[in-house]
Amino acid sequence: MPSQDEVRLAVPATPEFLRLARVTASGLASRLGFTFDEVEDLRLAIDELCFILIGTRGRDGVVELRYAMVPGALEVEGVGSFTDGGGNGHHSESATELALAAFSQQILSALLDDYAVYRNDEGKSCFRLLKRRGTTGNP
Amino acid sequence: MSFDAEQREDLRRKFAEFALGRDTTLRGELIEAHLGLAEYLARRFSNRGEPLDDLVQVASVGLLKAVDRFEPERGVEFSTYATHTIVGELKRHFRDKGWAVRAPRRMQELYLRLGKVVSNLSQELGRSPTIPELATEAQVSEEEVLEALEAGQAYRFSSLDAPSPGDEDGDSLGAHLGEVDPLMADAEHRMALTPLIARLPHREQNILHLRFFEGLTQSEIASRLGISQMHVSRLLARSLTKLRAAAEED
Repeated sequence: MPSQDEVRLAVPATPEFLRLARVTASGLASRLGFTFDEVEDLRLAIDELCFILIGTRGRDGVVELRYAMVPGALEVEGVGSFTDGGGNGHHSESATELALAAFSQQILSALLDDYAVYRNDEGKSCFRLLKRRGTTGNP
Repeated sequence: MSFDAEQREDLRRKFAEFALGRDTTLRGELIEAHLGLAEYLARRFSNRGEPLDDLVQVASVGLLKAVDRFEPERGVEFSTYATHTIVGELKRHFRDKGWAVRAPRRMQELYLRLGKVVSNLSQELGRSPTIPELATEAQVSEEEVLEALEAGQAYRFSSLDAPSPGDEDGDSLGAHLGEVDPLMADAEHRMALTPLIARLPHREQNILHLRFFEGLTQSEIASRLGISQMHVSRLLARSLTKLRAAAEED
């Protein structure tokens, strides 16, 4: 069961449902007093990380998101459970994809305070992000 | 948008030459010569709640496709052919994005209104406003602000994502319609990223650089470039969408 400071969401692993992942993130960020700049960063970051899991065409399966409100920050974890085998996720390693992966890291480190993309013990693709309040646009 | 006889002859010659050699410099010249047409057509679609800048970019993509696919030996004037392609691209833009269908009019209006509220409040507060501050100022609920942001960004750019089929030199648009910003020369990443990023319009390249390499905030970029923060936000989201799709196309 989610705790009191936690929201869980499971969405189909296709791009059109990422909207729900973004709206949930921005809703919680707003509760936490994030600025407009910070909310916008968070939305882009959620997109970026979810696309790393599901690719631009989506996968068969679900992405489960867990949003945790911690003092002054929002933590989000995403776990992809796919039923379509390899798919077009982040496995392929063409030069372009590798270049994009490097850029992706650049993007994510500019948008977030911390993040990780990894596989869990069950071999599922996962991400984790941390966005703090008061670190963007408030020099 | 009209050329004198001499210019027309010159363009005809260039198209013929381009059809043979697919020379990228020539391609850039042909694109540039017809940007006026793209802009003209974009204006005809500008009263549908879409920023003109965005439409000009969509039209430019159409132009690019037209230049690449045009077959001079068929005897059709390029402008006729290009008009058809560009208008098709603009229509597809509206259809794909489904703005009018998906976002209630009220949300579209709120989104457009929020653009001003964001810039006014940012200036007044000397920092980026919070969502509750925006809601209070716009006299709507927080949920409505968030909904409007989402509505405004409900852009689906599938038609723009990838270089046109058969486009073997997808990176030449960036190279010819505007030099890659010298600031872009962030040594380590430049090599790997240039071909991808160079496909984007110059301004989008610049915004990506300022946000992700220089670390400016969206509001700082907005004031530096003299455009609204909402526009910066939209362009960023769009650029990233295009890059992702381009990478998968490869």
